[in-house]
Amino acid sequence: MALDLQMPVLVVDDYKTMIRIIRNLLKQLGFEDIDDAADGTEALEKMKQRRYGLVISDWNMEPMTGYELLKQVRADSGLSKTPFIMVTAESKTENVIAAKKAGVNNYIVKPFNAQTLKGKIEAVFSD
Amino acid sequence: MTQVTRENVAQVIDFLEENKERGGDVSLTDVMHLAEVMSGSMHDFLATVQPAVTEELTAIAREISNMKSDIAQLRANDMTASKIPDAGRELDAIVQATETATNTIMECAEEIMCADTSDAEAYQALVSDKMISVFEACTFQDITGQRISKVVSTLNYIDERVTAFIERLRIPEGLDAELEESDADRRKRELILHGPQHAGEGVSQNDIDGLMNGGQAEIDALFD
Repeated sequence: MALDLQMPVLVVDDYKTMIRIIRNLLKQLGFEDIDDAADGTEALEKMKQRRYGLVISDWNMEPMTGYELLKQVRADSGLSKTPFIMVTAESKTENVIAAKKAGVNNYIVKPFNAQTLKGKIEAVFSD
Repeated sequence: MTQVTRENVAQVIDFLEENKERGGDVSLTDVMHLAEVMSGSMHDFLATVQPAVTEELTAIAREISNMKSDIAQLRANDMTASKIPDAGRELDAIVQATETATNTIMECAEEIMCADTSDAEAYQALVSDKMISVFEACTFQDITGQRISKVVSTLNYIDERVTAFIERLRIPEGLDAELEESDADRRKRELILHGPQHAGEGVSQNDIDGLMNGGQAEIDALFD
């Protein structure tokens, strides 16, 4: 799968400031079509209405967490192939393992920098 | 044998009359007050029984009196009515201040990133102006530092009093009742919500990269 800077990206986080930070970093990386959602439920609704090329999601959100979103996305035949990067402060080994088992494509621990985000996105699309 | 006097019985009846409408809502203070009334009503009776029993009951009465003093020292009402709500307000203010400062700094950065660079002099003036705004926004750190100090003081205040209370009551370790898991706790456990870790506690980005790249075998090995 090739990295396409024109593809729509969905950023999911309940913290508006973090959405703004990721949005700005993605713009710096060349992405132009960036959408956002405040939790897993809203993200899932948006994903059913539009085909996103990449989802970048926080873990800890109400009412639906990023982990639940990931599992629902992977269980939905229409969405299951969507690249999914978790960006979270949850940095316990069990979290990483659970996300990996649920089918996450990459995992970034907060706080992170632009280089890390860029590297992980490139890694997802070079696989 | 000396009888309990009519006056003694009247005291107990008064106490029960005063509290009968409370539908079982009885506090520790109420129980101790009743114990005092009961022991007072039995004073004459106790004077006639064996001295050893009297001594034991006197010691119990003294312990009850001391416990009342210890509870007063705990200043529980001050904690719940003032100290803890104040600490909550300080934390809310910290969240608000950091959010405001972050937004200000990001707005400055966004304006600089989007600015027209064709006029170097105007661009330099804009950058200087926005940098001043960034410095100003960073003053939140001093104020939030002071607010955090107040919250830490409150936690120390509570810690000192609760610790002293536990010591005075000679509550042994391991006597804590089992905590029932709340819905929020169950959700945290099931959805693996730990929150941010302190330095050195969580796994680093490098470790995560290793786990992500290592494949299932490496992950499975962690469970062996």
